[in-house]
Amino acid sequence: MNEELDSQLSAMFDDELPAAECELLARRLSRDEQLKARWGRYAVIGATIRAERGVRLNAGLARRVNAAISSEPVLAAESVAQPKKKWAYAWWQPVASAAAVAGVAAVSILWMRSHSPESAAPVIAATAAPVVAQTPAAGVVAANVVNGEPDSYVVPKNTARRLVVPSTELANYVVAHSEFSSPVTRRNLLSAFMASESGTATPSAGSEEPTEDVQDDAKIPQ
Amino acid sequence: MSADISDLSLVRRVQRGDKGAFDALVLKYQHKLVKLVMRYVRNPAEAEDIAQEAFIKAYRALPQFRGDSAFYTWLYRIAINTAKNAVVSRDRSPIEYDLDRNNTDESYDMQGRMKDPETPEGLVLTDEIRSTVNAAIDALPEDLRTAIVLRELEGLSYEEIAAAMDCPVGTVRSRIFRAREAIDRRLREVFEGGLGRVEELG
Repeated sequence: MNEELDSQLSAMFDDELPAAECELLARRLSRDEQLKARWGRYAVIGATIRAERGVRLNAGLARRVNAAISSEPVLAAESVAQPKKKWAYAWWQPVASAAAVAGVAAVSILWMRSHSPESAAPVIAATAAPVVAQTPAAGVVAANVVNGEPDSYVVPKNTARRLVVPSTELANYVVAHSEFSSPVTRRNLLSAFMASESGTATPSAGSEEPTEDVQDDAKIPQ
Repeated sequence: MSADISDLSLVRRVQRGDKGAFDALVLKYQHKLVKLVMRYVRNPAEAEDIAQEAFIKAYRALPQFRGDSAFYTWLYRIAINTAKNAVVSRDRSPIEYDLDRNNTDESYDMQGRMKDPETPEGLVLTDEIRSTVNAAIDALPEDLRTAIVLRELEGLSYEEIAAAMDCPVGTVRSRIFRAREAIDRRLREVFEGGLGRVEELG
Protein backbone atom coordinates (compact mmCIF):
# COMPACT_ATOMS: atom_id res chain seq x y z
CA MET A 1 0.00 0.00 0.00
CA ASN A 2 1.09 3.53 -0.70
CA GLU A 3 2.98 4.88 2.31
CA GLU A 4 1.90 8.46 1.73
CA LEU A 5 -1.70 7.33 1.60
CA ASP A 6 -1.31 5.43 4.85
CA SER A 7 0.33 8.43 6.44
CA GLN A 8 -2.62 10.55 5.37
CA LEU A 9 -5.00 7.95 6.75
CA SER A 10 -3.24 8.04 10.10
CA ALA A 11 -3.40 11.84 10.17
CA MET A 12 -7.05 11.82 9.16
CA PHE A 13 -7.82 9.34 11.91
CA ASP A 14 -6.37 11.87 14.35
CA ASP A 15 -8.27 14.72 12.73
CA GLU A 16 -4.97 16.31 11.73
CA LEU A 17 -5.30 16.24 7.96
CA PRO A 18 -6.05 19.43 6.02
CA ALA A 19 -9.66 19.73 4.91
CA ALA A 20 -8.97 19.43 1.20
CA GLU A 21 -7.01 16.20 1.66
CA CYS A 22 -9.71 14.95 4.00
CA GLU A 23 -12.34 15.30 1.33
CA LEU A 24 -10.33 13.24 -1.14
CA LEU A 25 -9.37 10.60 1.39
CA ALA A 26 -12.91 10.30 2.75
CA ARG A 27 -14.05 9.51 -0.74
CA ARG A 28 -11.44 6.84 -1.14
CA LEU A 29 -11.97 5.47 2.37
CA SER A 30 -15.66 4.92 1.77
CA ARG A 31 -14.88 2.73 -1.24
CA ASP A 32 -11.61 0.99 -0.45
CA GLU A 33 -12.24 -1.99 1.82
CA GLN A 34 -8.55 -2.51 2.53
CA LEU A 35 -8.16 1.05 3.61
CA LYS A 36 -11.28 0.77 5.70
CA ALA A 37 -9.95 -2.34 7.43
CA ARG A 38 -6.74 -0.50 8.25
CA TRP A 39 -8.77 2.42 9.58
CA GLY A 40 -10.67 -0.04 11.77
CA ARG A 41 -7.41 -1.50 13.09
CA TYR A 42 -6.19 1.98 13.97
CA ALA A 43 -9.29 2.26 16.12
CA VAL A 44 -8.50 -1.11 17.70
CA ILE A 45 -4.96 0.02 18.48
CA GLY A 46 -6.26 3.16 20.15
CA ALA A 47 -8.86 1.25 22.13
CA THR A 48 -6.27 -1.26 23.27
CA ILE A 49 -3.83 1.44 24.36
CA ARG A 50 -6.61 3.05 26.34
CA ALA A 51 -7.55 -0.42 27.63
CA GLU A 52 -11.18 0.34 26.99
CA ARG A 53 -13.48 -1.90 28.88
CA GLY A 54 -15.90 -3.85 26.81
CA VAL A 55 -13.79 -3.82 23.68
CA ARG A 56 -14.49 -7.10 21.99
CA LEU A 57 -12.49 -7.05 18.87
CA ASN A 58 -14.21 -9.94 17.14
CA ALA A 59 -17.70 -8.76 17.89
CA GLY A 60 -18.48 -7.68 14.36
CA LEU A 61 -20.45 -4.69 15.51
CA ALA A 62 -19.41 -2.73 12.45
CA ARG A 63 -20.49 -5.60 10.24
CA ARG A 64 -23.89 -5.78 11.89
CA VAL A 65 -24.41 -2.04 11.62
CA ASN A 66 -23.38 -2.22 8.00
CA ALA A 67 -25.93 -4.96 7.35
CA ALA A 68 -28.65 -2.96 9.06
CA ILE A 69 -27.76 0.21 7.17
CA SER A 70 -27.83 -1.67 3.86
CA SER A 71 -31.57 -2.06 4.16
CA GLU A 72 -32.01 1.61 4.99
CA PRO A 73 -32.88 4.06 2.24
CA VAL A 74 -30.01 6.10 0.87
CA LEU A 75 -29.94 9.58 2.35
CA ALA A 76 -30.95 12.22 -0.15
CA ALA A 77 -28.87 15.34 -0.41
CA GLU A 78 -32.00 17.51 -0.54
CA SER A 79 -33.13 16.37 2.89
CA VAL A 80 -29.88 17.30 4.59
CA ALA A 81 -30.18 20.25 6.92
CA GLN A 82 -27.84 23.10 6.17
CA PRO A 83 -25.94 24.95 8.87
CA LYS A 84 -27.43 28.27 9.92
CA LYS A 85 -25.92 31.19 8.10
CA LYS A 86 -25.01 33.22 11.11
CA TRP A 87 -23.81 36.17 9.07
CA ALA A 88 -27.28 36.63 7.65
CA TYR A 89 -28.58 37.65 11.06
CA ALA A 90 -25.48 39.33 12.36
CA TRP A 91 -25.88 42.82 10.95
CA TRP A 92 -29.21 43.78 12.45
CA GLN A 93 -28.66 42.37 15.93
CA PRO A 94 -26.49 45.20 17.27
CA VAL A 95 -28.74 47.75 15.57
CA ALA A 96 -31.84 46.24 17.13
CA SER A 97 -30.15 46.04 20.54
CA ALA A 98 -29.04 49.66 20.39
CA ALA A 99 -32.51 50.78 19.30
CA ALA A 100 -34.16 48.84 22.11
CA VAL A 101 -31.79 50.23 24.70
CA ALA A 102 -32.19 53.78 23.42
CA GLY A 103 -35.97 53.36 23.52
CA VAL A 104 -35.87 52.11 27.11
CA ALA A 105 -33.62 54.98 28.12
CA ALA A 106 -35.86 57.57 26.42
CA VAL A 107 -38.99 56.15 28.04
CA SER A 108 -37.25 56.10 31.41
CA ILE A 109 -36.22 59.72 31.10
CA LEU A 110 -39.72 60.80 30.06
CA TRP A 111 -41.26 58.79 32.86
CA MET A 112 -38.95 60.26 35.43
CA ARG A 113 -39.59 63.76 34.26
CA SER A 114 -43.33 63.25 34.33
CA HIS A 115 -43.15 61.85 37.88
CA SER A 116 -40.83 64.51 39.18
CA PRO A 117 -42.40 66.82 41.83
CA GLU A 118 -41.43 69.77 39.75
CA SER A 119 -42.83 69.83 36.30
CA ALA A 120 -40.71 70.11 33.22
CA ALA A 121 -41.62 73.75 32.68
CA PRO A 122 -40.24 75.06 35.97
CA VAL A 123 -37.17 72.93 35.46
CA ILE A 124 -36.60 74.49 32.09
CA ALA A 125 -37.34 77.89 33.53
CA ALA A 126 -35.00 77.26 36.41
CA THR A 127 -32.33 76.02 34.08
CA ALA A 128 -32.68 79.07 31.91
CA ALA A 129 -32.99 81.46 34.81
CA PRO A 130 -29.35 81.56 35.83
CA VAL A 131 -28.38 82.40 32.28
CA VAL A 132 -30.66 85.38 32.42
CA ALA A 133 -29.79 86.22 35.99
CA GLN A 134 -26.07 85.94 35.60
CA THR A 135 -25.80 88.16 32.57
CA PRO A 136 -27.26 91.23 34.22
CA ALA A 137 -25.58 90.36 37.48
CA ALA A 138 -23.68 93.56 37.58
CA GLY A 139 -26.87 95.48 36.99
CA VAL A 140 -28.66 93.56 39.72
CA VAL A 141 -25.82 94.13 42.13
CA ALA A 142 -25.94 97.77 41.26
CA ALA A 143 -29.67 97.73 41.85
CA ASN A 144 -29.06 96.01 45.15
CA VAL A 145 -26.78 98.75 46.18
CA VAL A 146 -29.43 101.21 45.24
CA ASN A 147 -32.31 99.36 46.92
CA GLY A 148 -30.32 98.14 49.89
CA GLU A 149 -31.51 94.56 49.47
CA PRO A 150 -29.41 91.61 50.75
CA ASP A 151 -26.81 89.95 48.45
CA SER A 152 -28.38 86.54 48.84
CA TYR A 153 -31.14 87.63 46.53
CA VAL A 154 -28.71 88.24 43.66
CA VAL A 155 -27.39 84.65 43.47
CA PRO A 156 -30.18 82.34 44.55
CA LYS A 157 -29.22 78.82 45.33
CA ASN A 158 -30.36 76.99 42.22
CA THR A 159 -31.35 73.58 43.55
CA ALA A 160 -33.62 72.82 40.63
CA ARG A 161 -30.77 72.99 38.20
CA ARG A 162 -28.61 70.77 40.28
CA LEU A 163 -31.41 68.23 40.44
CA VAL A 164 -31.69 68.07 36.69
CA VAL A 165 -28.02 67.95 35.80
CA PRO A 166 -27.21 64.58 37.37
CA SER A 167 -30.28 63.06 35.72
CA THR A 168 -29.24 64.16 32.26
CA GLU A 169 -25.68 63.08 32.83
CA LEU A 170 -26.74 59.71 34.05
CA ALA A 171 -29.26 59.27 31.27
CA ASN A 172 -26.60 60.11 28.73
CA TYR A 173 -24.26 57.76 30.50
CA VAL A 174 -26.78 54.96 30.36
CA VAL A 175 -27.44 55.51 26.68
CA ALA A 176 -23.78 55.80 25.83
CA HIS A 177 -22.79 52.69 27.76
CA SER A 178 -25.84 50.60 27.13
CA GLU A 179 -24.11 48.69 24.40
CA PHE A 180 -21.45 47.49 26.80
CA SER A 181 -23.57 46.71 29.84
CA SER A 182 -25.78 43.74 30.54
CA PRO A 183 -29.57 44.21 30.68
CA VAL A 184 -29.56 43.46 34.43
CA THR A 185 -26.93 46.09 35.10
CA ARG A 186 -28.85 48.59 33.00
CA ARG A 187 -32.03 47.90 34.89
CA ASN A 188 -30.25 48.23 38.23
CA LEU A 189 -28.70 51.45 37.14
CA LEU A 190 -31.97 52.88 35.95
CA SER A 191 -33.77 51.78 39.11
CA ALA A 192 -31.13 53.35 41.28
CA PHE A 193 -31.22 56.38 39.09
CA MET A 194 -34.99 56.74 39.46
CA ALA A 195 -34.83 56.12 43.19
CA SER A 196 -32.19 58.74 43.64
CA GLU A 197 -34.14 61.09 41.46
CA SER A 198 -37.30 60.81 43.53
CA GLY A 199 -35.20 61.05 46.70
CA THR A 200 -33.36 64.18 45.69
CA ALA A 201 -36.50 65.80 44.35
CA THR A 202 -38.01 66.06 47.79
CA PRO A 203 -37.21 69.35 49.42
CA SER A 204 -36.43 67.66 52.69
CA ALA A 205 -33.60 65.69 51.18
CA GLY A 206 -31.82 68.87 50.36
CA SER A 207 -29.03 67.05 48.62
CA GLU A 208 -27.45 68.56 45.55
CA GLU A 209 -25.28 65.63 44.57
CA PRO A 210 -26.34 62.22 43.28
CA THR A 211 -26.82 59.84 46.13
CA GLU A 212 -24.02 57.52 47.09
CA ASP A 213 -25.64 54.37 45.71
CA VAL A 214 -26.27 55.92 42.30
CA GLN A 215 -22.68 56.98 42.13
CA ASP A 216 -21.65 53.43 42.90
CA ASP A 217 -24.06 51.92 40.38
CA ALA A 218 -22.88 54.32 37.76
CA LYS A 219 -19.50 52.62 37.93
CA ILE A 220 -20.87 49.15 37.25
CA PRO A 221 -21.15 49.22 33.47
CA GLN A 222 -17.49 50.01 33.00
CA MET B 1 -6.33 22.38 12.31
CA SER B 2 -10.05 22.66 12.79
CA ALA B 3 -11.54 20.01 14.97
CA ASP B 4 -13.70 17.25 13.58
CA ILE B 5 -12.91 18.04 9.96
CA SER B 6 -12.27 14.42 9.06
CA ASP B 7 -15.51 13.26 10.64
CA LEU B 8 -17.36 16.05 8.94
CA SER B 9 -16.02 15.10 5.53
CA LEU B 10 -17.24 11.53 6.11
CA VAL B 11 -20.59 12.77 7.42
CA ARG B 12 -21.10 14.94 4.34
CA ARG B 13 -20.45 11.94 2.15
CA VAL B 14 -23.04 9.90 4.04
CA GLN B 15 -25.50 12.76 3.70
CA ARG B 16 -24.92 12.67 -0.04
CA GLY B 17 -25.85 9.00 -0.07
CA ASP B 18 -22.48 7.28 0.43
CA LYS B 19 -23.17 4.52 2.94
CA GLY B 20 -19.55 3.36 2.81
CA ALA B 21 -18.48 6.52 4.58
CA PHE B 22 -20.74 5.61 7.48
CA ASP B 23 -18.83 2.34 7.89
CA ALA B 24 -15.69 4.37 8.52
CA LEU B 25 -17.46 6.36 11.23
CA VAL B 26 -18.72 3.17 12.84
CA LEU B 27 -15.27 1.60 12.74
CA LYS B 28 -13.76 4.66 14.33
CA TYR B 29 -16.23 5.12 17.15
CA GLN B 30 -17.64 1.70 17.95
CA HIS B 31 -15.22 1.01 20.79
CA LYS B 32 -15.77 4.38 22.38
CA LEU B 33 -19.50 3.98 22.07
CA VAL B 34 -19.57 0.52 23.59
CA LYS B 35 -17.44 1.79 26.44
CA LEU B 36 -19.82 4.70 26.93
CA VAL B 37 -22.91 2.47 26.91
CA MET B 38 -21.31 0.15 29.43
CA ARG B 39 -21.73 2.86 32.02
CA TYR B 40 -25.43 2.03 31.83
CA VAL B 41 -25.42 -1.69 31.15
CA ARG B 42 -22.78 -4.07 32.37
CA ASN B 43 -23.29 -6.80 29.87
CA PRO B 44 -20.92 -6.29 26.89
CA ALA B 45 -23.31 -8.01 24.49
CA GLU B 46 -26.17 -5.78 25.56
CA ALA B 47 -23.90 -2.75 25.29
CA GLU B 48 -23.07 -3.74 21.73
CA ASP B 49 -26.74 -4.11 20.89
CA ILE B 50 -27.43 -0.65 22.26
CA ALA B 51 -24.43 0.78 20.42
CA GLN B 52 -25.69 -0.81 17.22
CA GLU B 53 -29.10 0.72 17.76
CA ALA B 54 -27.49 4.09 18.44
CA PHE B 55 -25.53 3.91 15.20
CA ILE B 56 -28.65 3.08 13.23
CA LYS B 57 -30.54 5.93 14.86
CA ALA B 58 -27.63 8.22 14.06
CA TYR B 59 -27.68 7.14 10.43
CA ARG B 60 -31.39 7.86 10.17
CA ALA B 61 -30.97 11.22 11.87
CA LEU B 62 -27.94 12.27 9.84
CA PRO B 63 -29.97 14.44 7.47
CA GLN B 64 -30.73 16.64 10.49
CA PHE B 65 -27.08 16.85 11.53
CA ARG B 66 -25.88 20.33 10.59
CA GLY B 67 -22.37 20.15 11.94
CA ASP B 68 -22.94 22.72 14.66
CA SER B 69 -21.33 20.31 17.11
CA ALA B 70 -18.73 17.60 16.64
CA PHE B 71 -20.07 14.40 15.16
CA TYR B 72 -18.97 12.35 18.14
CA THR B 73 -20.68 14.74 20.57
CA TRP B 74 -23.88 14.30 18.62
CA LEU B 75 -23.45 10.52 18.43
CA TYR B 76 -22.64 10.46 22.13
CA ARG B 77 -25.99 12.07 22.98
CA ILE B 78 -27.87 9.59 20.82
CA ALA B 79 -26.08 6.69 22.49
CA ILE B 80 -26.77 8.02 25.98
CA ASN B 81 -30.48 8.40 25.22
CA THR B 82 -30.65 4.98 23.63
CA ALA B 83 -28.93 3.41 26.63
CA LYS B 84 -31.22 5.16 29.11
CA ASN B 85 -34.31 4.06 27.18
CA ALA B 86 -32.99 0.52 27.00
CA VAL B 87 -32.41 0.41 30.74
CA VAL B 88 -35.91 1.77 31.43
CA SER B 89 -37.62 -0.68 29.08
CA ARG B 90 -35.57 -3.58 30.44
CA ASP B 91 -36.50 -2.70 34.01
CA ARG B 92 -40.16 -2.66 33.01
CA SER B 93 -40.01 -6.06 31.34
CA PRO B 94 -40.86 -9.13 33.47
CA ILE B 95 -37.95 -10.90 35.10
CA GLU B 96 -37.61 -14.47 34.04
CA TYR B 97 -35.49 -15.65 36.92
CA ASP B 98 -35.62 -15.39 40.64
CA LEU B 99 -33.37 -12.72 42.01
CA ASP B 100 -33.28 -10.54 45.02
CA ARG B 101 -34.34 -7.24 43.46
CA ASN B 102 -33.27 -5.31 46.53
CA ASN B 103 -29.69 -5.73 45.51
CA THR B 104 -29.56 -3.89 42.23
CA ASP B 105 -25.88 -4.41 41.55
CA GLU B 106 -26.13 -8.11 42.10
CA SER B 107 -29.15 -8.41 39.84
CA TYR B 108 -27.36 -6.49 37.11
CA ASP B 109 -24.37 -8.78 37.42
CA MET B 110 -26.51 -11.87 37.32
CA GLN B 111 -28.48 -10.57 34.39
CA GLY B 112 -25.25 -9.80 32.61
CA ARG B 113 -23.82 -13.23 33.16
CA MET B 114 -26.98 -14.91 32.02
CA LYS B 115 -27.30 -12.96 28.83
CA ASP B 116 -23.65 -12.71 27.93
CA PRO B 117 -23.05 -14.77 24.83
CA GLU B 118 -19.32 -14.04 24.86
CA THR B 119 -17.54 -17.11 23.62
CA PRO B 120 -14.22 -18.42 24.94
CA GLU B 121 -12.88 -18.10 21.40
CA GLY B 122 -13.75 -14.44 21.35
CA LEU B 123 -12.13 -13.85 24.69
CA VAL B 124 -8.96 -15.61 23.56
CA LEU B 125 -8.81 -13.45 20.46
CA THR B 126 -9.36 -10.30 22.43
CA ASP B 127 -6.63 -11.26 24.87
CA GLU B 128 -4.30 -12.17 22.06
CA ILE B 129 -4.87 -8.86 20.33
CA ARG B 130 -4.31 -6.97 23.54
CA SER B 131 -1.06 -8.76 24.26
CA THR B 132 0.06 -8.32 20.65
CA VAL B 133 -0.61 -4.61 20.67
CA ASN B 134 1.05 -4.16 24.03
CA ALA B 135 4.09 -6.16 22.94
CA ALA B 136 4.32 -4.15 19.73
CA ILE B 137 4.18 -0.91 21.68
CA ASP B 138 6.92 -2.11 24.02
CA ALA B 139 9.08 -2.98 21.02
CA LEU B 140 8.74 0.49 19.50
CA PRO B 141 11.63 2.96 19.59
CA GLU B 142 11.24 5.44 22.40
CA ASP B 143 10.24 8.41 20.23
CA LEU B 144 7.56 6.45 18.35
CA ARG B 145 6.17 4.97 21.57
CA THR B 146 6.00 8.36 23.25
CA ALA B 147 4.25 9.90 20.26
CA ILE B 148 1.57 7.22 19.94
CA VAL B 149 0.94 7.07 23.68
CA LEU B 150 0.63 10.84 23.95
CA ARG B 151 -1.82 10.76 21.10
CA GLU B 152 -3.96 7.76 22.02
CA LEU B 153 -3.74 7.75 25.78
CA GLU B 154 -3.46 11.44 26.57
CA GLY B 155 -5.42 12.65 23.57
CA LEU B 156 -2.94 15.40 22.72
CA SER B 157 -3.02 17.12 19.35
CA TYR B 158 -0.02 16.91 17.01
CA GLU B 159 0.88 20.46 17.93
CA GLU B 160 0.84 19.69 21.63
CA ILE B 161 2.90 16.56 21.09
CA ALA B 162 5.36 18.55 19.00
CA ALA B 163 5.73 21.01 21.87
CA ALA B 164 6.12 18.20 24.39
CA MET B 165 8.69 16.34 22.32
CA ASP B 166 10.37 19.48 21.02
CA CYS B 167 10.12 18.55 17.35
CA PRO B 168 8.19 19.76 14.27
CA VAL B 169 4.55 18.79 13.79
CA GLY B 170 5.49 16.91 10.61
CA THR B 171 7.83 14.71 12.63
CA VAL B 172 5.03 13.94 15.07
CA ARG B 173 2.75 12.94 12.23
CA SER B 174 5.44 10.68 10.82
CA ARG B 175 6.23 9.10 14.20
CA ILE B 176 2.60 8.35 14.95
CA PHE B 177 2.10 6.88 11.52
CA ARG B 178 5.20 4.69 11.81
CA ALA B 179 4.16 3.54 15.28
CA ARG B 180 0.73 2.59 13.99
CA GLU B 181 2.23 0.79 11.03
CA ALA B 182 4.52 -1.25 13.26
CA ILE B 183 1.66 -2.23 15.57
CA ASP B 184 -0.70 -2.88 12.69
CA ARG B 185 1.80 -5.23 11.05
CA ARG B 186 1.79 -7.43 14.16
CA LEU B 187 -1.95 -7.14 14.47
CA ARG B 188 -2.57 -8.33 10.94
CA GLU B 189 -0.42 -11.38 11.58
CA VAL B 190 -2.66 -12.31 14.49
CA PHE B 191 -5.80 -12.09 12.45
CA GLU B 192 -4.55 -13.54 9.22
CA GLY B 193 -2.48 -16.24 10.83
CA GLY B 194 -4.35 -17.50 13.83
CA LEU B 195 -8.03 -17.01 13.87
CA GLY B 196 -8.79 -15.69 10.43
CA ARG B 197 -11.26 -13.12 11.55
CA VAL B 198 -10.02 -10.17 9.63
CA GLU B 199 -13.40 -9.61 8.10
CA GLU B 200 -14.96 -9.40 11.54
CA LEU B 201 -12.44 -7.05 13.00
CA GLY B 202 -14.01 -3.80 13.76
